[in-house]
Amino acid sequence: MNTATQTDTVTLTIDGKSVTVPKGTMVVDAAETVDIEIPVFCYHKKLGPFGCCRMCLVEVEKMPKLTTACTLAAGEGMVVKTDTGKVEKAQQGMLEFTLLNHPLDCPVCDKGGECPLQDHTFRFGPPDTRMEYNRYPRDKATPLSPVITIDRERCIACQRCTRYSDIIEKDQALVMLNRGFQNRVATFNDQPYDTRFSGNVIDICPVGALTNTDFRFTARSWELTNASTLCGHCACNCNMTLGARLNEMKRITTRPNDLVDDGWVCDKARWGYDFTKSKNRIQQPRKQGQAVGIQEACAEVAASLKKIVEDHGPNSVGFIGSGYGLNEELYLYQKLFRLNLGTNNIDHKTYTDTPGLPVAHFDLLDVETSDLVVLIASDPTEELPILDLRLKKAVTQRGVKMIVLNDQQTLMDKYATLSLRYNIGSDRVVLAGLNAALQGQAPESNLEQATGIPADQLKAFADKIKTASKVCVIYNPAALSGGSVHTLKQCLATAGGLADTTVGALPAAPVTNAVGAMDMGVLPDCYPGGIALTESDAIKTKWGDTAPLEKGLTALEMIEKAKSGELKALVVYRCNPVVDFPSGHEVGEALKKLDLLVVHDMMETETAKLAHVVLPSNGPGFDEGTTTNIGGRVQLRTKGLTADNPGDWKIISTIAKELGQETAPKDVHAVTAEIAEKVNGYQGIKRSSIRKEGRNREGFPSMNRASVAEANGSGDGLVLRVASVLFSHDKILDAESPLAHQFQPSTVHLHETDADALGVQEGDEVRVTGNGHEVKAEVRVSNRCNPGGVVLPKVSDEQGVMSLAEAGKALSRVTIRK
Amino acid sequence: MTLILFKDIDTPGLTSIDVYEKTLEGYQALKKAFAMKPDEVIEMVKASGLRGRGGAGFPTGLKWSFLAKDVFPRYLACNADESEPGTCKDRELLMKNPHLLIEGMILCSYACRIETGYNYMRGEFWEYESVMEKALEEAYEKGYLGKNIMGSGFNLEIHNHMGAGAYICGEESAMLSSLEGERGEPRMKPPFPAVKGLYGQPTIVNNVETLCVLPFIVRNGAAAYAAIGTEKSKGTKLVSVSGHVKKPGNYEVPLGTPIIDLIEKYAGGIRDGNKLKAFIPGGSSVPILPASKADVPYDYESLQAAGSMLGSGALIVMDDTTNVVSEILRITSFYMHESCGKCTPCREGTRWMYQILSEIQNKVGKPEQLDLLIDICDNMEFKCFCPLGDAAVAPVVSSIEHFREDYEELLGSLKTGQPVGTT
Repeated sequence: MNTATQTDTVTLTIDGKSVTVPKGTMVVDAAETVDIEIPVFCYHKKLGPFGCCRMCLVEVEKMPKLTTACTLAAGEGMVVKTDTGKVEKAQQGMLEFTLLNHPLDCPVCDKGGECPLQDHTFRFGPPDTRMEYNRYPRDKATPLSPVITIDRERCIACQRCTRYSDIIEKDQALVMLNRGFQNRVATFNDQPYDTRFSGNVIDICPVGALTNTDFRFTARSWELTNASTLCGHCACNCNMTLGARLNEMKRITTRPNDLVDDGWVCDKARWGYDFTKSKNRIQQPRKQGQAVGIQEACAEVAASLKKIVEDHGPNSVGFIGSGYGLNEELYLYQKLFRLNLGTNNIDHKTYTDTPGLPVAHFDLLDVETSDLVVLIASDPTEELPILDLRLKKAVTQRGVKMIVLNDQQTLMDKYATLSLRYNIGSDRVVLAGLNAALQGQAPESNLEQATGIPADQLKAFADKIKTASKVCVIYNPAALSGGSVHTLKQCLATAGGLADTTVGALPAAPVTNAVGAMDMGVLPDCYPGGIALTESDAIKTKWGDTAPLEKGLTALEMIEKAKSGELKALVVYRCNPVVDFPSGHEVGEALKKLDLLVVHDMMETETAKLAHVVLPSNGPGFDEGTTTNIGGRVQLRTKGLTADNPGDWKIISTIAKELGQETAPKDVHAVTAEIAEKVNGYQGIKRSSIRKEGRNREGFPSMNRASVAEANGSGDGLVLRVASVLFSHDKILDAESPLAHQFQPSTVHLHETDADALGVQEGDEVRVTGNGHEVKAEVRVSNRCNPGGVVLPKVSDEQGVMSLAEAGKALSRVTIRK
Repeated sequence: MTLILFKDIDTPGLTSIDVYEKTLEGYQALKKAFAMKPDEVIEMVKASGLRGRGGAGFPTGLKWSFLAKDVFPRYLACNADESEPGTCKDRELLMKNPHLLIEGMILCSYACRIETGYNYMRGEFWEYESVMEKALEEAYEKGYLGKNIMGSGFNLEIHNHMGAGAYICGEESAMLSSLEGERGEPRMKPPFPAVKGLYGQPTIVNNVETLCVLPFIVRNGAAAYAAIGTEKSKGTKLVSVSGHVKKPGNYEVPLGTPIIDLIEKYAGGIRDGNKLKAFIPGGSSVPILPASKADVPYDYESLQAAGSMLGSGALIVMDDTTNVVSEILRITSFYMHESCGKCTPCREGTRWMYQILSEIQNKVGKPEQLDLLIDICDNMEFKCFCPLGDAAVAPVVSSIEHFREDYEELLGSLKTGQPVGTT
C-alpha cells in the first residue's frame, strides 16, 4: 500500500470483520461493503447524514452511548458492533416508536413488497406493539400534486423528501410544517408540489407515504416485470426501470447510475410514457391510407425508391432521420441510403454541427470534477433536466464555478459566478470575441453594441477559463446559428491549447440520441465514426468502392429541393418536419410535391398524414438497442414491453433486402456488433460490456470545415429566439398525459423597453408575426432577453412557433401586435 | 456576600446607559480588556473558572479556545431563549440590566475576535426586545458598539433577534438554524458551533448569565471571581426558586450554598407550614430529588453526585401535599408539546409517555404501566438526536425511582374502565 492510499483510507472493524474504506465514509456505508446491514430510514447516500430516524444505532468501543452509524464517519481503528443485545433492544425500540402511529395497512399499500419499513420490521422489529391508544389522526391519501399522492398516516417524518427538495432540487418546495408529533410534509400554502423532478421523492420515500398517483392500486410491486432500460426523452439517457404488468406499462422508477443520472430522473422520464399506450400510435403500416402488411409496405418502399433512383439518379432520394432513433436503426438507415441507393442525402437535424471535438469529449461526471463549467446557449433545466441537478450539485456541493453565456435567462444564472447575456442572434460575434479574448487579442470595437456584452466582461470570462485547471464546456448547437458552432469549436481549440488548463466539452443538443446520430453518420458530409467525405480511401476500405463521395443535401436543403421538384423521394424517420422545422408551415407544401414520402414513426404526426407509405416505429419501451448520450456514453436500452410490430431494425433491413442487400442482421444485437466493427470509436462497445453502466465511446478529432455564416432573415422587428420547454404539449406528451397539468400557455417574453415601445403590458394577448406566419401569445414583460429580442417558448405543437423562424437563416425577426 | 449579577439591580433607571455607567462602573471593563490581547482575555476567563450557565456547565474559556483557528468571520450568538420550565433568571437581567449583557457580549467578542453578535431572545420576550433595542441604540451612540470602539480598532455590531416561541431553539444548534431563518431543529454535532456554526462559520454560543459575568471578571480579575464558590464550581449562580415556597424568585448565591438554605433562608421556607417533599434542582430537564437530599450543596459536582444536575439553575420545590405524578405529567406534556419532531424516539416517545401518565393521573392506569414507562425511557435515553429527549426522560425515571408510592397510590385506586383517548 502506498502512502497516498494510507492517508486516503481508514480501516475499522465491524462485527469482527476488518473493513477498509475511503476517509469520510459513514459507518453505515462501510458496513454495507462487507454485507453487514445496518437498517436506516432517513439516511440516503445522495442526501448525506441526518440522523433523525435513529434506526442505525450501533455500539462503538470507547463511546459511552450508542451512536448512529449514518452520522459517524469511519475512523482508523474504530471497533463497531451491530449485533449486541444493546443494539438489538435499541432497534426494536426505534421500530416500536416508528410504528406507534403508522397504520400498518400493508395489504393495500403500494409500497408493500418493496418497503424498508416492512423489511426492517421483519428483520429487526419487535414481535408486537405495546401501544394501546388510537393513532394520531392524519389525512389519508390526499394529492400532493396531480401525480403524487401523500398518505400522511404512513409518513414516518424521515425528511428524505424535504431534504431532497432542499439539497438536490434546491427549491425548498417541500418542507416540514408544525412541530413534534404534529409535524407534516407540506408545501407553501398547500400549493401543488409540481416541480420538474418531484417524482424522485416517491422512490426515496422509505414507506408508502408518497405514492405515484398514476400507479396507485394498479399492481403489486412483485407482479411487475421490470426492465432495466433508458429514458428516451432528452440526451442524458437516464437509467430507469420500466415496470409492466400483462404487457402494459405501469410505472417508471429510478435505476441509479452515478455516471449518468446520479440516481434521479425528471418527471418527464417518470410520467412521460403515455405514448406507449396512446391511441395516436401508428398501429400498422399504411399504403396510400390503406392498412397493409409489413412485408408489403417494405416492398412498396423499396420498389418505389429503386424506380425513382433508376429514373432520376441516386440524389433524387433522401433521408431525414432524427436523434430519436437508436444507434442501430440510424446506422442501418444511413447504410441503406449510402450503399443500397448511392446517395449522401442523409441528415438528422436542422441546425449545424459536425462530429468530433477539438478537445476531449467529457462525460457527465466531469461536470463535478472540473473546477469551471461553461454553459453556452444551453438551458439544462428545460433541455437536459438531469444535467440541471448535476450542475447544482457541482456548484453547491463540489465548489465548482460556473459561467453562463446565453441569449436568454435560465435557472442556471443564479448558480453562476458570471452570467453573460448576448443579444439574440449575435452568438457568432460574441463567440468570435471570446476566441479573441482567449488569444489575448482585443475584440472588435463594436462588440458591446453588437452583442450587449462589454468587452471587459468577455475578457473576464476568458481569464476565468485561462486560470482554471479543468474546464468543462457545455454547449447546445441547436441554439446556435450556423456559423457559430464552428466559431465555438475554434474557441475550444484555443482553450484546448492553453498550457495549464484541461478543456473538454459536451455537445448538448437536447434530442435523445443526437450524439449517436452524428456518430452513426446520419449526415450529408460524413460517414459513421466522423469520417469526412474527403477521406475517400478510408471510406472505400470500410464501405466499398461504390460508396458515394459526393456531398449530400442537408435536411433543410432536402425540403428546398422537394419544393423545387428536384428531390423526388424522401424517407422521414422519427421526426415531424411540418411542425418542428423552421418555416414548418411551408414544409407540408414542399412534401406534397414528392413522388414518394415515407414516414417511419411512432406517433401519428402532421407529416405522417401526408405520407404515401407509413411505417410503424416501436420506440422507447418496446425497442432494444444502444444510444449515445451527451457525454459520449453508450448504453443499452432494453425493452420492457412486447410490440405487435417488428423492430425498426427489422423493417429497415427488410427494405434493404428488397433493394438487393444480400446479408441481413439476424437480430438487433448483430447490428450493435456491426457498429462496433465498422464505426470509429465504438470498437469496445459490446452488449455485455455496456449492460450495467454503459461505456464511453472514444471521441474523434474535429472535422475541419470552413465556417459558413448564415445570412440574417428578412424584415424588421424583434429578433426571435425559440426556447425549449420540458413539458411541451406534443405527440409524446399528449392531452391524456399525467403531466398535462404542466403544460404552459403560449407566451412571448419581451424586454421592458420593447414592451414600453410597443405599448404592451404583462398579460396582453398579442399576435406574433414573422415569416408569413402568425402565433398567438400572452405577453410576459421580463428581462429574459436583451432589448431587441423576443423569446417564445415552444409550449406545444399546435402553437406552431417554429414557423416564425426562417429556414437556414442566422436570425429571424418577428413583429408584435395587439 | 458579593453580588455580581444582581448588584444594584433594582436601581431606578438602570436600563439607561448613564445610570449603568454611574452605578456599576458600566463599560469600564472595556478599557481594561482593550489594553489586553484577546487571547489574554480568554486566559483570564479560563482562570476564573467560569462555567456556562445555560445548563451544561461547560467551562467558558475552554469553549472559546475551541474556535476554529484563523477562520473568519466568527459570530457570537447570545442565548436568551430562556425557556426551561422554572427558569426566569435571564429574563430579569434583560429586563433590568440590559447594558450588563451588552458589555459582556463586547468582552466576549473582543476576546474571540468576533465582529458580529446576535442576541437571540425567546419569542415571548417581546417586552424586553424594546428594552434591549433601546440599550443597543445607546451603546452605539456612546461608541461602545460600531466601528473602532473606544479607539481600540475593534469593531462590533450587535443585533437583537426574536425567536418564535420554541423551547428547542434554546438548544444551541437549533438556535443557530432558527437565526439563519431555517426551521428550528437541532443540527448534527460534530461539527460543533465553535468550528462550524452560524452560516457555517465558527460561532460562540453563550448564555445571558454567562456573558453578564464577564464585566466583573475583567474589572476585578480572575482571582476575585474564583474566590467565590467551591473548588470546581466557581462564582455565584442565579437560582430561580419556584413552587411551594413563601418567597419564590431569583436569588444570586455563591455556588455551594446548601439547597435547604436556598429554600429556608432565601425563599422564606415551605408554604403553609408544610414539609418539603421533593425538589427539582435545575429546571424540568433534570431528575427530581426527595427531601432527604435537601442538604446537598448547590453546585455542579454535588448535584451530580446526588443523582441530578444543576442545569439552568431553576429550583422547583414541592411540599408534602403534592402527588408528584401530576407534576411529572405536566412536565411530560411540556416536552410532548416542545419536541421538534425531528427524531423518532422523542417525537413518538414523549406523546406515548404523556398518554400513559394521563391514564395514571386519571386513575385508570394499570400497574404494569410503570415498567412500560421505564422501558420507554430506556429506549429514549441517550438515543435521541439532541438532549431534549433525555430531558423528557429524566423526570419520569427519577420520579418512579424516588416516589413510586405516588404512582402506586393512583394505580391502587384503580377502577375498571376503558383507556381514555388522550390528546
